[in-house]
Amino acid sequence: MTKNKTIKVDYLARVEGEGALYIRYDDGGVHDVKLKIFEPPRFFEGFMRGRDYLEAPDITARICGICPVAYQMSAVHAMEDALGLKPTAELRALRRLIYCGEWIESHTLHIYMLHAPDFLGYPSAVDMARDHPKVVQNGLQIKKAGNAIVSLLGGREIHPINVRVGGFYRVPSAGELRPLREQLVEARDMAADTVRWAASLPFPKFERDDHNRYEFVSLSHPSEYPMNEGRIVSTHGLDIAPAEYDSHFREEHVEYTNALHSVLVARGAYLVGPMARYNLNYAQLSPLTQQVAEEVGFPPYCANPFKSIVVRSLEVLYAFDEALRIIDSYRQPREPYLAIAPHAGTGYAVTEAPRGLLYHRYSICDQGKITDAKIVPPTSQNQKTIEDDLRTLLPKFLHLPEDKLRARCEQAIRNYDPCISCATHFLKLHMRRATGGANHGS
Amino acid sequence: MAVEYSASWVVISLGNRFRGDDSVGPYILHRLRSQLAGIAECIENSGDMTRLMEDWSGRRVCMVDALVDDSREVGDILRLDGLAEPMPESVSTTSSHGLNLGEAIELGRIMQALPLELKLFGICGRNFNTSAELSPAVIDAAVIVEKEILEQLIPQGGDHQCTNNP
Repeated sequence: MTKNKTIKVDYLARVEGEGALYIRYDDGGVHDVKLKIFEPPRFFEGFMRGRDYLEAPDITARICGICPVAYQMSAVHAMEDALGLKPTAELRALRRLIYCGEWIESHTLHIYMLHAPDFLGYPSAVDMARDHPKVVQNGLQIKKAGNAIVSLLGGREIHPINVRVGGFYRVPSAGELRPLREQLVEARDMAADTVRWAASLPFPKFERDDHNRYEFVSLSHPSEYPMNEGRIVSTHGLDIAPAEYDSHFREEHVEYTNALHSVLVARGAYLVGPMARYNLNYAQLSPLTQQVAEEVGFPPYCANPFKSIVVRSLEVLYAFDEALRIIDSYRQPREPYLAIAPHAGTGYAVTEAPRGLLYHRYSICDQGKITDAKIVPPTSQNQKTIEDDLRTLLPKFLHLPEDKLRARCEQAIRNYDPCISCATHFLKLHMRRATGGANHGS
Repeated sequence: MAVEYSASWVVISLGNRFRGDDSVGPYILHRLRSQLAGIAECIENSGDMTRLMEDWSGRRVCMVDALVDDSREVGDILRLDGLAEPMPESVSTTSSHGLNLGEAIELGRIMQALPLELKLFGICGRNFNTSAELSPAVIDAAVIVEKEILEQLIPQGGDHQCTNNP
């Protein structure tokens, strides 16, 4: 007698956004994995056409409530590339500082509220908070320090309004930054403790075979851990300028989803985000960050996505260290922004959003109106790798009871901190187990 | 000089101002800002529910948001005492950003970071597409909610509430 089993979760919790995932498998292997994203087809790119180039940072920041700074940074850098504008070192440092704030906010939210419950065996952050209020309290306090950075530089924590092409509408004085310092020093200590705590969590054993290794892709900069600038590099030898992005990456329509899947033209799926940055740029992390990584025995190369929570915690520690370095060496820019008359051109930029590469390309006319826009968020770049992970992972955990297997799949998705809200409406998880014979249910 | 609002009312909007009816919260907030200057702080929150605990802890809150509820008409207004009344699913699951409003309230309870008062105004929407306009029925409802919030916060013709009994 054959026995079919179906596991269905109508709503995948603790991810940014909503979508659906369908898995069909049996004892012989995984036959179908579909991450479905019901994204309205790129309305923001159409929405941008005809708008003034100065509006790009503030409009694109509205794509996501969690990583608005990333959208602003990619937008301003792409516009400046189109206009041939090079911000001063002081303005560049301030941009790096506000990005530090967003990394802290976004990573800390994911570490403590979205991912930690998986490792501690709770269905939600609320349930975890009942037993571990101190853990949640720490997370909220660390995140608050990130909020303070974004608030000071961006004018407010959510959808900052102070970023503009050429610099900022207003820049802080050294005196305004000083009160932030004490808060950041205290939070940096907590961030180091977070690394120690995260490294002590129980991690599922999962690494891909040699023939199926991840291609990690991130920015790389000669003198700093990448945020706003650099070349796009990979563990498989890719090394290109942001302007070459469209020649090496392609977006594909996939039948079951409205979102586009991004692939490397030469090799297919790839992985962006904290693990990629860490693996390709470990040497650029601050001495303190490397020291804490060594202290907890975390290697300079990590290929187990379940350990991405440790990598995120190391990046939070780095962001505090970097923010303090910037504040300590801060010189107020003479002008808050560099002004330039618009002229026709096309500009490209890739920056490192908390979740990975965020590509923007704009063309503008002589009047400064946007004639074309392209935006590729990190989650659309990781979709194929998420699906591949589930294909690879499932056979290794078939011994688990169904509820635990389902939880493991959800956890595997959360490894990537997918920001589906940049691109979707609803996420459902359907797992169909077929132990021979016909399938029914979904 | 920054205005100190810590012990006063705060109006918080949820929603994305570029996604059709989802923008009704920011729309109401925009209309209220100038009328509530010096009386209440206005905060636009577009998805980070952990921010709510910072923003509302120990304060009195009016919150405005769009709802998706097939059992109601577009423009229907749901009014709730967020601390006392059970929350319908259409409200508790608002926000797709990892945590939802119901969880934020529960988390606030556990972390002792709840508001003193939480008045929720939910407006049922229909069209949540990017760049879509607000539906006419949602705009009508927004005007009603705006008026109710003003009456709540400025009960006596624009001045502070009179506490004398004639």
